[in-house]
Amino acid sequence: MTVEVLAERGARARRDEEVDVVIVGAGPSGSVAALHLARAGISVVVLEQGEWPDYADYTGARPEHELVSTKLWHPNPNVRDNPNDYPVDTSTTDINPLMFAGVGGSATLYGAQWMHFLPSDFRVRSMDGVAEDWPFTYEDLLPYQLEIEREVGVSGLAGDPAYPPRGAYPFPALPMGSVGQRGALGMEKMGWHWWPGSNAIPSEKFGELNPCVRRGTCLTGCPEGAKSTTDRSHWPLALKAGARLVTRARVKEIETNEQGLATGVIYVDANGRDRRQRAKVVILCANGVGTPRLLLMSGGPRTPDGLANSSGMVGKRLMMHPFASVLASYQDPLDSWRGPFGQQVYSLEFYETDESRGFVRGSKWNCMPSGGPVGVSGATGSKVYVAESGRFQDFWGANLHENVARRFGHSLIWGIVGEDLPEESNQVVLSKDLVDSDGLPAPQIVYKVNENSNRLLKFNIDRCLESVRAAGAIETLVSTPVRESGWHLIGTTVMGDDPKRSVVDQWGACHDVPNLYVMDASTFPTSGATNPTATIMAVALRNTRRMIAERRNQKVA
Amino acid sequence: MSNENAFLALADFLIPAHGKMPKFSDVCGYADVEKSLDFRIDLKPGFARGIAVDPATGAEARLESLNKEDGEAFSAITTIAIATYYMSPRVRELIGYPGQENVPYDSKATQIYLTNGSLGQVVARGRKYRPTPGL
Repeated sequence: MTVEVLAERGARARRDEEVDVVIVGAGPSGSVAALHLARAGISVVVLEQGEWPDYADYTGARPEHELVSTKLWHPNPNVRDNPNDYPVDTSTTDINPLMFAGVGGSATLYGAQWMHFLPSDFRVRSMDGVAEDWPFTYEDLLPYQLEIEREVGVSGLAGDPAYPPRGAYPFPALPMGSVGQRGALGMEKMGWHWWPGSNAIPSEKFGELNPCVRRGTCLTGCPEGAKSTTDRSHWPLALKAGARLVTRARVKEIETNEQGLATGVIYVDANGRDRRQRAKVVILCANGVGTPRLLLMSGGPRTPDGLANSSGMVGKRLMMHPFASVLASYQDPLDSWRGPFGQQVYSLEFYETDESRGFVRGSKWNCMPSGGPVGVSGATGSKVYVAESGRFQDFWGANLHENVARRFGHSLIWGIVGEDLPEESNQVVLSKDLVDSDGLPAPQIVYKVNENSNRLLKFNIDRCLESVRAAGAIETLVSTPVRESGWHLIGTTVMGDDPKRSVVDQWGACHDVPNLYVMDASTFPTSGATNPTATIMAVALRNTRRMIAERRNQKVA
Repeated sequence: MSNENAFLALADFLIPAHGKMPKFSDVCGYADVEKSLDFRIDLKPGFARGIAVDPATGAEARLESLNKEDGEAFSAITTIAIATYYMSPRVRELIGYPGQENVPYDSKATQIYLTNGSLGQVVARGRKYRPTPGL
């Protein structure tokens, strides 16, 4: 029986049927929760506003790839303009949030860089005197991290001295390629940390996942079915275990009773009709923008400031990881269109706090190929690539040919992810005038890159330029902070022990509504500086296991 | 001036012959341009405005005007020009681009960083993380 047949069979609950759990969102965290709840015999319905991915739509293997992917597979929903997404008001933010609605979630368009948070990420208050410690530790989460890696099919090499000892990865690391070797050479010349990339891309056949063939188009959907996304890693198993998945189902409200307990959700179905899904427990897995948006939309007469928001913290403390990139060109050929794209090498040299640098916390670097000729030209057809004071002629004519000759096949990109400290002024609110295709208020992002991040990025860019030049770079191009870089949406329903200062407890349960949970990165007290998907899925697994173990003690309506 | 001639004049200014590289119209016809537009129907309105600018003006002046006054049209013209050009098999051959190709490999092959000592130096430099027991 195919996944599609299973998915379509009786997905929607019968009229007025109450299920044990309804989950909003079929991305990384929602998929983990659905699989493990279903395996435990708990009835679960997942509502996903997007659709199943059609791998034939991924253009990576076709000549028109660079033309099509910059629209159809753009990570910014405002550019993609797909009615399954909701638009985002970005008029008040320095960084655009990036996301994708569909089975597999925003990971459909991620680079698959697979990194654990480090021990200090869970203890930033104790160690560095900023933000808050997490309610649990690196060691508490590690068993779940390793279990998720086996479910996802991660490739990598154990033994990295930037981490405490851990077990082997499920699959050998992907080939490093000339790009990774050149990136590593620069780090080695400087005597700095580097390590072969760990990626959520199996190097060998694994379940529904094919082995990576280094197509290099991870960021725009993998046509090989090799990049691990939960439509392939988790959903085939979840459906067989009995989970039900309803696509094109946009949740507009969480319903509660007079006792303040959740009773289910109202969603708009594919035909534009409102439907009710009753449930004993509601879990939100709609990302750091979608989850607070839904809570703010669910404020009724009893909760005019939004559901689960007695602390006033829903939507606040948004963190998006200010990001810089350094493109370096070399005389030697690097075959720099070949994958894996996400990270052939990473570095945690500047991850930990060193106060002499003038900022707290740190960064993670990942070394990536620079891609096809259109992308490296710097022209890319958009006016935004022409500086306000610049001339378009700088990117065209003979300059176009010379730029492409120097960069195409000869360049790499170091991406620099900086830890983003939480600030209440950085937040998600409801737009007063922008709405989605169902007329629901769009989220508005209010976000400024703070001074700590500006200093952090400048320091790291300077170090990165030293590294690439040590390896022989003949040209460098810096972009900072990259506006289209809000991949990591974190912190908007913060977890903590104090209901006056946090939205959920350490298990994701809302202080105000004990049968309403959040299991995406909204709950993270701090952002770390690594790509968060591994931690998102591990925290979701930890929460789900707790929910299963405590099911008889769960307070329900 | 026909649509075809109007666009090819702009495209040849943007992508002229240079060294071994041919100009746009040497390797791409208007049928290729229309095929690209079919992939990106969102660009068609801007493209139409871009090629409708007064043909009496030279290509550079027309592009300058579009860049200042109609960014969407400038973006449409330049996106279609560059993408169509680098889809050309002749151009790809000249720059050595096989496309985003499939590159089989042996997942169990020993990687060079394990045998040339480079990764060993990273390990030899010792622990990087800060332990947090008791915190």
